[in-house]
Amino acid sequence: MTSRWTQGLGRLLLSRLFQAGLVAWLVGTLTFILTRSLPGDMAYRIAAGRYGYDMVDGAAAEAVRAELALDQPAAGAYFSWLWDLLQLDLGRSLVSGNPVIQELSHQLGHSLSLAIIAVLLSLLIGPPLGLVAGLKPGGMLDRSSEVAANVLRALPPFAVGLLLIMLFAVTLGWLPVAGHGSALHNVLPALTLALGLAAVSSRVARNAMADVSHSAYYAFSRTKGLNERQSFMRHGLRNAAVPVVAYLGVQFVYLIEGVVVVETLFAWPGIGHALVHAIVARDVPMIQGTALVMGLLFVMLNTAVDIACHFLDPRRRHA
Amino acid sequence: MTAATTRLSSRFSLPQLSSRQQLGAFLLALLLAFAWLVPWLFDADPARQQLTRILQAPSLAEPFGTDHLGRSMLARLAAAIRLSLGMALLSVATAAIPGVLLGVVAGWRGGWSDRLLGSLADACLALPGLLLVLLLVAIAPGNFWALYVGISLVLWIEYFRVVRARTQALVTSPQIEASRLLGFGPTMLFRRHLWPELAPQVFTLAAFGAASAILAMAALGFVSVGLRPPTAELGLMMIELLPYYHEAPWAMAQPIIVLFVVVMSLNLLAGKDPR
Amino acid sequence: MKRSSAAWLAILASFNTWAADRSLDIAAPWEIKSADPSTSGYVFSRMRVAENLVTTDNQGQLAPGLASAWEVSDDGLEWRFTLRENAHFHDGTAVSADAVVNSLEASIAKPGMLDTAPIASVEAVGDDVVIKLESAFAPLPALLAHSTTLILAEAAYAENGDVTQMIGSGPYQVDELSPPQRMTVTRFDDYWGAAPAIAAASYLAVSRGETRALMAESGDADIVFTLDPASQARLSRNASLSLHSEPLPRTIMLKLNASHPFLDDKRARQALSMAIDRAGIAAGLLRAPEAAATELFPESLGAWHLGVAPSSGQDIEKAQALLAELGWEPNEEGLLERDGQPFKLTLRTYADRPELPLVATALQSQWRELGVDLEVAVGNASAIPSGHHDDSLEVGLSGRNYGLVPNPLVSLLDDIGSDPDNMGGDWGTMNWRDDEVAEWLDTLRQSTEEQALNDLAPLVAERLHQEMPLIPVAWYQQTAAVSDEVEGFSIDPLERSYRIDQMEWAE
Repeated sequence: MTSRWTQGLGRLLLSRLFQAGLVAWLVGTLTFILTRSLPGDMAYRIAAGRYGYDMVDGAAAEAVRAELALDQPAAGAYFSWLWDLLQLDLGRSLVSGNPVIQELSHQLGHSLSLAIIAVLLSLLIGPPLGLVAGLKPGGMLDRSSEVAANVLRALPPFAVGLLLIMLFAVTLGWLPVAGHGSALHNVLPALTLALGLAAVSSRVARNAMADVSHSAYYAFSRTKGLNERQSFMRHGLRNAAVPVVAYLGVQFVYLIEGVVVVETLFAWPGIGHALVHAIVARDVPMIQGTALVMGLLFVMLNTAVDIACHFLDPRRRHA
Repeated sequence: MTAATTRLSSRFSLPQLSSRQQLGAFLLALLLAFAWLVPWLFDADPARQQLTRILQAPSLAEPFGTDHLGRSMLARLAAAIRLSLGMALLSVATAAIPGVLLGVVAGWRGGWSDRLLGSLADACLALPGLLLVLLLVAIAPGNFWALYVGISLVLWIEYFRVVRARTQALVTSPQIEASRLLGFGPTMLFRRHLWPELAPQVFTLAAFGAASAILAMAALGFVSVGLRPPTAELGLMMIELLPYYHEAPWAMAQPIIVLFVVVMSLNLLAGKDPR
Repeated sequence: MKRSSAAWLAILASFNTWAADRSLDIAAPWEIKSADPSTSGYVFSRMRVAENLVTTDNQGQLAPGLASAWEVSDDGLEWRFTLRENAHFHDGTAVSADAVVNSLEASIAKPGMLDTAPIASVEAVGDDVVIKLESAFAPLPALLAHSTTLILAEAAYAENGDVTQMIGSGPYQVDELSPPQRMTVTRFDDYWGAAPAIAAASYLAVSRGETRALMAESGDADIVFTLDPASQARLSRNASLSLHSEPLPRTIMLKLNASHPFLDDKRARQALSMAIDRAGIAAGLLRAPEAAATELFPESLGAWHLGVAPSSGQDIEKAQALLAELGWEPNEEGLLERDGQPFKLTLRTYADRPELPLVATALQSQWRELGVDLEVAVGNASAIPSGHHDDSLEVGLSGRNYGLVPNPLVSLLDDIGSDPDNMGGDWGTMNWRDDEVAEWLDTLRQSTEEQALNDLAPLVAERLHQEMPLIPVAWYQQTAAVSDEVEGFSIDPLERSYRIDQMEWAE
């Protein structure tokens, strides 16, 4: 039993490793093709990114073109990028001149801390609410949490963030409005992200719980004499947890999108913010590096989700 | 009403709507009627500016007030619903159709086609969707359809995943086995057994997908991408009116309320929550 | 400040103390790209970390900076700058002639303000720095006051000339630099000038105007620069804040391609200018009625300002009459047509300055009244200079800063030019030729005399106003919300300094 179990886990990890390689190549190639097909003169874009709108002019663009050898043919540039990647060298940012790795590690740290707190907060808010609502489908709590989830899904993240700032920072004065540096600065941006995530995960948990509470084994656990609390703890929670955890994987995608808005609103120096700037300024090594790191991160998180499901759901281990 | 009865009613009497679905249909019809009747009943140009009458509160002459350029919110909202709903439907369709078809194929056939499609979907999911959309916007600047199609490129995977998982479970069910033994073809099997089971989930995903597409537009506008004045679009209206959130909260609330009604009505119509 | 819950107070105390080393927190929209003055010099100049050879006084006039005096040879080809004796960099080394030459050579090697001047060489001669020119260039000292020509210690540069560390000579030194958002500075005790009263300060780049306004309101920032028009009214009602506003020598203007078949006649350009409701844009969109730009140069630019009466407002009928002279007739949709061609133009602008897309939308509607179909393309700032070079630009809307250096002549030499065969510039006129204007500018370029400026500047301004190769729309106002705990605040209209060394905490 145990050997089969670890074998399953090993295969899972191996296929994920293969996927990571595939993603790295795909992301790199795709961003390369797309960035090459972007209209407009790259030298001007980079010059604008570097020197700002007051100082960008033809002379600055020509200087950039000469410095970066932008006239290099596409195929050569692609293979030299691929070769560098194999040596784990992501190049230097065309705008700041710093190594991409250095810029990314700085920004990724900020974004990750934000994302982790957001996911934890959303897990604290969403699933418990959904589980309770799912115990009594159609009840008051179920109905009102459904409306609340729909409201949160219709509110753009910047509006949620603005409301939170006005409440917690301006009116109550408990938390700082924006910036980074102290632990308190994390709270509002993370909460903004978490509310959007919790809106969906509460509904996922509610449906899972509703299904479980209508299942034969759950009814049986009640007839065999367990009280409501006991059958919930023994049978309900574990079974309902699988879809919630599995859905986390999809949620990370929303997280990355939400991060851009939240980082801009809260002046947070993260990776989403960096990606937008890199695309605007045509900073190709930064775009490739950011996309690569985000893609690999996604594969890693999904692997973690898979492993969690592996532990939670014995049926999957034989699959 | 419990989930069980919803499922029963949707299985045995498809055309007949539950009261939940009736409410959803009513809300959606109301919204559509608003969008198409306003330009017909009121002679208001959504692009006409009056800089002396900016951010006026709702009044008899302007039932929804005016925006930051003195344009009629009523006319703009109606135009925005027409554009955004159309675009959101386009984006949902371009995401749902390949997602559902590939999901059914992968779930039904299993084996290498499942593995191939599965890893393709995983690889696409790992591509930061935002990056894809931003790059597409840069390639075709000012094109709304390019934006929405770009957004749907990110969204199809959700349909694929859900449909594949459900199909896998359904294909081995006794009903399908029985029908297959009776000699029904794949089209018939899909229509009789798969689709009725899949439809509520696909529709729920579509409801959230439409909202995601519109909110993604707003998010892009927030980082100053995709702006194209003077077009009225729900997501861009939210971002245009954001600076005036304190002065004219009712103005910024309007596109948000519309989006809420869209999400709510589509969700009610779908009849079931996502899994 | 509304700090209510006692439970939070202990934590809050850590970042909002009344200790002597309390930091002056500044929030502004501009991000820090790196330590290099060529990309982010303005931040270090404004936060008083690094200094120039030449600085400006509170009236905007040139004043001695790290150079205590300068003189020019009679032929205008050799400038000699005498350095201040007691100035030191933050690493303890002296501000020597060699260090200055090193800094200036590094800044010449990169795109920046010094491109404009015909510099032949920069040399250290004893304790002086001598700059030799290929041709006379009177506004040279103004260039040396720009943030791309900041003087840094030799240790700040890597071997290839890149700046790896910010080591300036200003009254504040960098404590922590974390691009793109934050920088903290502390007082530099070995500063050559008067010691500032405020011991520490921080800079936070916050790109959204709404967030900045909320930071002012909550007390998170002591000084917030560039308030969005919508927040100003609300902040002005806040009793613990004071609002400051100062006109900047920056103009929102339209750059027209004067060789475009629709725009090659000055009457067409005048008509487009007449169709603009400047008062409406200034009052309604920018919320500053005094911002309506009746001419290109605002009053702060002295001799360049003509004083055109604000009464010359929007006049659609007169504009239509002018266009009718050129053969433009309205069709049934109200759009102008000539030989079956509709009057259709594409305007390029950028969103880095959030008011530009808004102004573009207003122009679109106002020109539609005239019968001109304007398509607005909001993109990257570089689309305007690149469109200038490949001749694809029709109309560009930008906010041009005539106060990049303390002498607007430098911007005009760039934007209009003094060579009649090669006029125009990336952010200035396009395919527009006027031999007299070129000659006047060339005279100004060589002459250091006050009288030449007073004679010729109005001629240039008047000709630009008649020919309209650039259509002015609005003048910028710099705005700031300042906590009432800060005293001695003032805005530098040239945006060279936040003047934090002149402020102090209120008792």
